[in-house]
Amino acid sequence: MPSIELNGTAYAVDENGFLEDPAIWNDNVATDLATTEGLTALTEEHWRVVRYIREYYLSHDIAPMVRKLCKETDTRLARIFELFPSGPAQGACKVAGLPKPTGCV
Amino acid sequence: MSLVYLDNAATAFPKPEEVYVFMDQFYRTHGVNPGRSGYDLCMETGELVDGTRKELTAFFNGTTADRLIFAYNSTDALNLALFGMLSPGDHAITTTVEHNAVLRPFEHLSRFGGVEIEHVPFDARGFVDPDDIARRFRPNTKVVAVNHGSNVIGTVQPVAEIGRLCRERGIHLVVDSSQTAGKIPIDVQAMNIDVLAFTGHKSLMGPTGIGGLCIQDHVDIRHTRAGGTGVRSAHRLHLDEYPWRLEYGTPNVMGIAGLHAGLGWIQKRGLDRIHEHEMRLMARLVEGLRAIPGVTMYCQDSLDDHIAVLACNVDGFDAGNTGTILDVDHDIACRTGLHCAPRVHEQLGIDRIHGAVRFGIGPFNTDEHIDAAIAGVGEIARAHARVA
Repeated sequence: MPSIELNGTAYAVDENGFLEDPAIWNDNVATDLATTEGLTALTEEHWRVVRYIREYYLSHDIAPMVRKLCKETDTRLARIFELFPSGPAQGACKVAGLPKPTGCV
Repeated sequence: MSLVYLDNAATAFPKPEEVYVFMDQFYRTHGVNPGRSGYDLCMETGELVDGTRKELTAFFNGTTADRLIFAYNSTDALNLALFGMLSPGDHAITTTVEHNAVLRPFEHLSRFGGVEIEHVPFDARGFVDPDDIARRFRPNTKVVAVNHGSNVIGTVQPVAEIGRLCRERGIHLVVDSSQTAGKIPIDVQAMNIDVLAFTGHKSLMGPTGIGGLCIQDHVDIRHTRAGGTGVRSAHRLHLDEYPWRLEYGTPNVMGIAGLHAGLGWIQKRGLDRIHEHEMRLMARLVEGLRAIPGVTMYCQDSLDDHIAVLACNVDGFDAGNTGTILDVDHDIACRTGLHCAPRVHEQLGIDRIHGAVRFGIGPFNTDEHIDAAIAGVGEIARAHARVA
């Protein structure tokens, strides 16, 4: 199983860099994972997207659809790509500690 | 503005109101099995089926209405044709501009059927040189299969000249008209097309699930399936007579009814008028996208010998992401990816970036739709430039 070391902590991840165990996620983990996306700091705008994805995942056991994510966070998709250059699935979901989405996001 | 539908190269949407109304009414009054019995309703339904054969035969200037075969779609029709025309030891030629409807049957014939296949590349403008095909002719070349209009780059191939060269050598030309039937005129006799495959749900304005073949009199295709035909039931083997030779089981009456209505709508509106409208919008789209820094279009330098299908990318940005943003932020429906035509993308070198964004323009699109697409792509390109 691959692992990465971020800010002195080793994380077990899949081949795409997504957490193997979503349960270990917390704000510090999110901040560490964000560095893999080239993000040195998470703004309130980042957190709004990350927290919505995280809460939706915990409630539904799946990532939200993109259209729902944009509507519920009042964020245009183009803006999400600016916040997370890898996009909502590869970027935002990874920072939110989800397994790699196979569906809509 | 509601949804801007620019995915007409995948399927025409919406259909003309006349198509919806006719299908609904016809199925309510004539939803019986045609050609299986002698009662009046059955005969009337059969007349619709045979009448549509005649209409399509005339539309394509085919030779005999019985050689107008109904199938599910172009892919189904091309499978009937290619598997029924080629045998082990044969050689066939196709192009890199093809859809998987041609590529995959050929790949199967190559790997499992003992048929040797060659692929002729298109040039920088997106056209296949007929002489490049002719240079590959061999004594055992039996079939040349060519896409009439590309579903990715929109180029219309010089089918008549390819057909002339094939005819000189007694090689059969099979043409995939999925993107062109109902968009531009097709005359199988004048264009030397031996077998034409068409689909009903795109520019012919019918529903999904109906397509077919228009086969010239001098060509024979083996039946590769067998089953009910509704006539001569005691015969142990599948019938050799057309159209039954290549039709199996109860036909798609609803699909044929819709195709009949769609064809009527096209003829009423006029093929030339439809094409002129779509190409005017296409020119507007090309001009608008060309003015956006960081957008690349493929094989659109000239719109001569083109249909209204355009592929583009925001440089350095995944095509799928562009399509998702157009959908979510701008309510624009288009298609992204490889468009079931992987060799086109491989030759353009864009398979590595997951293909391209494709806009397919239809007769119900407007200037406003095109301007929305230009604005959407422009916003994405500017945003990507800020991040990159």
